[in-house]
Amino acid sequence: MIQLHHVTKLYGEVIGVNDLCLDMQPGAYGLVGPNGSGKTTLINLLTGQLRPTLGAVKVFGEPPSNNRKLLRRLGLCPATDVLYPNVSARQWVSYLVSLHGFSKHESEELAVQSLEHVGMLSRMDRPMGEYSLGMRQRAKIAQAIAHQPDLIILDEPYNGLDPVGRQQMSDLLKRWVGEGKSLLFASHVLHEIESITSSFLLIYGGRLLASGTSEELESFISEAPQQVTLVGEDVAELVADLTRQSWVESVQLGDNRTKLKVALRDPAAFYQALPAWINGKSIRVDQLQGSQSNLTAIFDALLRNHRGEV
Amino acid sequence: MIVRVIWEVVKFELARSLTFGRGMIWVLLVLFPIALVGILRGLDVPLEPVEPWGIMLYFLVPEVMCLLALLLWATPVISTEIEGQTWGYLALRPTGRLEVILGKYFTAVIWSLAATICSTTVCIFLMGSAGGFRLWMVMVVLCILSSFAHASLYLLIGVVFHKRTIVTAVFYTGAVEYGLSFVPAVANKMTINYRLRGLLSNWMDWEEARSAAENVFGSEPSWMHLGVLVLMTSVLLVCTLARVRWSEFPTQQVG
Repeated sequence: MIQLHHVTKLYGEVIGVNDLCLDMQPGAYGLVGPNGSGKTTLINLLTGQLRPTLGAVKVFGEPPSNNRKLLRRLGLCPATDVLYPNVSARQWVSYLVSLHGFSKHESEELAVQSLEHVGMLSRMDRPMGEYSLGMRQRAKIAQAIAHQPDLIILDEPYNGLDPVGRQQMSDLLKRWVGEGKSLLFASHVLHEIESITSSFLLIYGGRLLASGTSEELESFISEAPQQVTLVGEDVAELVADLTRQSWVESVQLGDNRTKLKVALRDPAAFYQALPAWINGKSIRVDQLQGSQSNLTAIFDALLRNHRGEV
Repeated sequence: MIVRVIWEVVKFELARSLTFGRGMIWVLLVLFPIALVGILRGLDVPLEPVEPWGIMLYFLVPEVMCLLALLLWATPVISTEIEGQTWGYLALRPTGRLEVILGKYFTAVIWSLAATICSTTVCIFLMGSAGGFRLWMVMVVLCILSSFAHASLYLLIGVVFHKRTIVTAVFYTGAVEYGLSFVPAVANKMTINYRLRGLLSNWMDWEEARSAAENVFGSEPSWMHLGVLVLMTSVLLVCTLARVRWSEFPTQQVG
């Protein structure tokens, strides 16, 4: 579905994405990375809005730049808001569908169908200037799916949605994936993606850190040390005990000696030893932040690995 | 299909641009020449000879008013979409670049024509015997030519300089259309206003005005003025479409 061959995009001297190589089969994927990591640049390359400085991009086997036929198969929900205050969602979506070459009648019909799909049927004739952020977000999703594309690309689709809206959005996206259609979902919030798909692309600093399912990624970094943070007035007293252990990779004391970051090769051994040290020296620990066994931990570990910290 | 899509764009753009603010600007533009002609009529300025009245009306409507209207409505076609962060939604459509730009071009022309023809009609009525159907007809045709030509010019400025668009267009207008077009040199023949002035003097048979200021009104035949205007408009539009097709406009997104 998507092939990237050593793709680099430069904005003058700034690197947008750097030497990306990827071959994605049809399916649902999460594109994870912090703000500024290159997610949107990658999306713009995939949709042909940007051309790579180096390398080649192919979507459904074709280069996307100025490719009218391919654009018919893509739907995009950008992260940016939509600002047509005096136009209704029905008018806007219908207009955008008509730009795919559908007749007026077909465009209207497809627009109404998609707005119904996102739960906007009763409010679709109100001007968008009166919409809440969540309603505008639904209208944005509607315009992405209205022309029935084969692949939709969503950039931070949960922005502005309340918990109920998030749940409805998740249900909608799950239905989309359930219908066998493809999805690329960019977010900097991991659990949002985890609820939709278990296949991920992790991007940071314009580079692809890793790709695969969460299980594959966990296995990929199983050797990487996990980080645990202890916060408390006396945590500095643990340094001596920790540095004697062979399973401790590094110890870092900061925040006026009240925060201790420990990189562990064997977290189980740490959790076994810790209570005895705390009780023995009557050390007060206010917080213990461990690396959870979810994507956050994987992402943290990959980032540390990428930065050369481990 | 292309014509249908362009028509859809025009309808959408007209619907979304029907705001109170834009309506007020339109009314002010229409009233501007009417007020000036009305004041002159109130001061009992003689209606003969007709040339000064006609030249003033030409200067006020097909030149100044058209330019002001199109500065506001044709120049920012891309910059407003970029600033409003809506360009990404359009550019993702197969016809979202070229046909949308053409649709916006025609929308700007419609806004400009509606204002200039309205204003011309009322001004000719106020001018009484200095006006007449012939002057009205010539002015309307000049408004049409001016709107299409200047819209294509400002559209190109808008897509090339999508930052500080209006400032660039105002600078260009001042330097070229009002500076260079009066310079007695070959360069002034490349301006839209020179061609429009030439057509005015030709169609109204104002030989006296032409012989008094040949560098302003030109001496070429009407077909040449028309040909150059059509050629300029076409070239400017083709350049605009090429620029839009190949440009990587910013999407103002992060991530």
